[in-house]
Amino acid sequence: MRTRHPFTLLTLAAALPTLAWLLPAPAGALGTAAVAFGLAAAAGVRRVLVPAVVTAAPFWLFLFVLHDLPTTLAIGLRITTMVAGFVWLAAVLAPDRLVEAMVARGWSVTVAYVFAATLSAVPLFRARARRIVEAQRCRGLSPRGSVAKRLRALRALALPLLLSALHEVDERALALETRGLRSGARRTPLAPPPDPALERAARWALLLVCIAALVGRLV
Amino acid sequence: MNPLTLEGVEFHYPATEAPALRDVSLAVAAGEIVALVGKVGAGASTLLLVAADLAPRITGGRLTGTVRRRARSGIVLPTPWTQLSGMAFTVWDEVAFGPANLGWPGREIARHVERALERLEIAALAERDPATLSGGEVQRVILAGILAMDPDVVLLDEPTAELDPAGARALWRLVRVLAGEGKAIVVATSDLDAVPAVADRVAWLEQGAVRAMGAPDLLAEEATCEAGLGTTVAGVWRAAGLAAPYPLTVADAIQRWR
Amino acid sequence: MPVRLLALIPVAVAISLALSAAVEAVALPLFLDTTGTILATALAGPSVGVAVGVLTSAVNTLRNPTFWPFVVIQIIVALYAGLAARAGLFRGLRTAVPAGLGLGVIASLTSTPISYFLFGCTTTGGIALTTALGRALGLPPLGACFFGSFVSDFGDKAVTFALVTSVLHALPRRTAARFPLALRAIGAA
Repeated sequence: MRTRHPFTLLTLAAALPTLAWLLPAPAGALGTAAVAFGLAAAAGVRRVLVPAVVTAAPFWLFLFVLHDLPTTLAIGLRITTMVAGFVWLAAVLAPDRLVEAMVARGWSVTVAYVFAATLSAVPLFRARARRIVEAQRCRGLSPRGSVAKRLRALRALALPLLLSALHEVDERALALETRGLRSGARRTPLAPPPDPALERAARWALLLVCIAALVGRLV
Repeated sequence: MNPLTLEGVEFHYPATEAPALRDVSLAVAAGEIVALVGKVGAGASTLLLVAADLAPRITGGRLTGTVRRRARSGIVLPTPWTQLSGMAFTVWDEVAFGPANLGWPGREIARHVERALERLEIAALAERDPATLSGGEVQRVILAGILAMDPDVVLLDEPTAELDPAGARALWRLVRVLAGEGKAIVVATSDLDAVPAVADRVAWLEQGAVRAMGAPDLLAEEATCEAGLGTTVAGVWRAAGLAAPYPLTVADAIQRWR
Repeated sequence: MPVRLLALIPVAVAISLALSAAVEAVALPLFLDTTGTILATALAGPSVGVAVGVLTSAVNTLRNPTFWPFVVIQIIVALYAGLAARAGLFRGLRTAVPAGLGLGVIASLTSTPISYFLFGCTTTGGIALTTALGRALGLPPLGACFFGSFVSDFGDKAVTFALVTSVLHALPRRTAARFPLALRAIGAA
């Protein structure tokens, strides 16, 4: 599936939970959950299927505690579809291919930028936050004491992270500008992923199925 | 016609009283290398931002005086990490970021990217994820990304800050080659010992104003050495109590001894 | 959109998602996952804030897909913070904390129906646990669900508003002035 067009992967991942909520419970959601697990298993049992099952399991536990069996089954299968579908998507969707697809399709370069830059900034700042926490632990930060004391400790951890991040915004803006990133610019796609007619047809078909399910639900 | 001319430029950052630049005039010719020296906060970085048309356009603030640019410019800022586009997942794509934004045809982008990678000696990194590179490697990738856009004016802010001595020497050689191709180059640097061999002219900035401008010999004069902005050799000569004029380079010092 | 605001968006999203490390280190029942949304709004207005909020939800969704419907909360937070910034409520903790508490009430009132009708109130471990506690205290299902959301949202939004206020005041004037709304948000313009 990794070689499929990114838009096809996104459409499929969006259609599965949509159908799970629209089709009659529990049979509809059972079907979509089965499809989602099938995709996850095909993408890799240990890398994709197992994390999907592990993520979905706690929901079943809480549902079972809070609700009766038919409700548990209906909501549980929906959530399972959604979890398995997204864990699968995160595993097979390559961000660079998605960005290229967006640019090739004539999306604004700024939309593609915001999207890609967010994906690369998140791990960067997570790592930075962990470093700050580690450094403060070495200087005696501990998760004990009164709430007021812990709030002050939280402020001491968060403030440097936020201030350095805002300082960085300035430098990022200057660097982007000098390298020609402008709203409305026509960017050259570097390696646009191929989009065969069959896949385009499949995307439209999925959309129609979802609309049909919505109509069926409302009528 | 000079590619870059500043005349009587004064610049204020937003919400500040003191000007960051005061009455700065500077003309840079094609093929010329001008080095900006000064203490931290003297205005060298701001001057580069003004020359790059980023101040006040992006930074905000107000500018008086005249800035004339007859060519496209590219600037390399001091912190390499913050200059990664975030939109590229390989070094090749990172270097191609600028050219692609200019909307060049694919083949031309490839030609300029390959050439820039070669010039910075980072062709071997082409398939690497930029997030996994060292500081020095990122600095080279960023410079390659600017050169791939083929600017006529190249503005460099502390380009050797993250490089090891060998990397710094290679960079200064490349700067001379670029000037040889007719590019106008302005570089703010604290690598003072490299300046005599690289720069054609030196501008000494103090509190936002040009205190002195002239040939690299400037870095061996009493006033610059007193401000801590002389070359190491000149500084040592002066500290040893030897007579002025101070030698500018090691070669000069050897000649004086003989 | 100006390139400065464009560069702000990814950084603000990353802030929201990175702060969980700090929260875990001090063991407080907070999320702070709207910090980037509120900060971006206070600096650059609600449209940038909405973009940050939507993207934060999208990235969260890659980790836990049940977060997606709560994108509505992020949008409400951005709009509310926009009004708060216009009114200069980030001028000090005395105005910011009550504003945050107000947002907490609105946020929990909105998240309750989403959480209840879509997921049977089992979305995140913390909320599910407090909901179970609510049930044990004899509350009806929807009431227990609100109880769960309220407990987790109320303090969170107040702390987030206080944190954003601290940041805005710690920011050098020279930097703050480069963002369109920042000085107004802290009551300095």
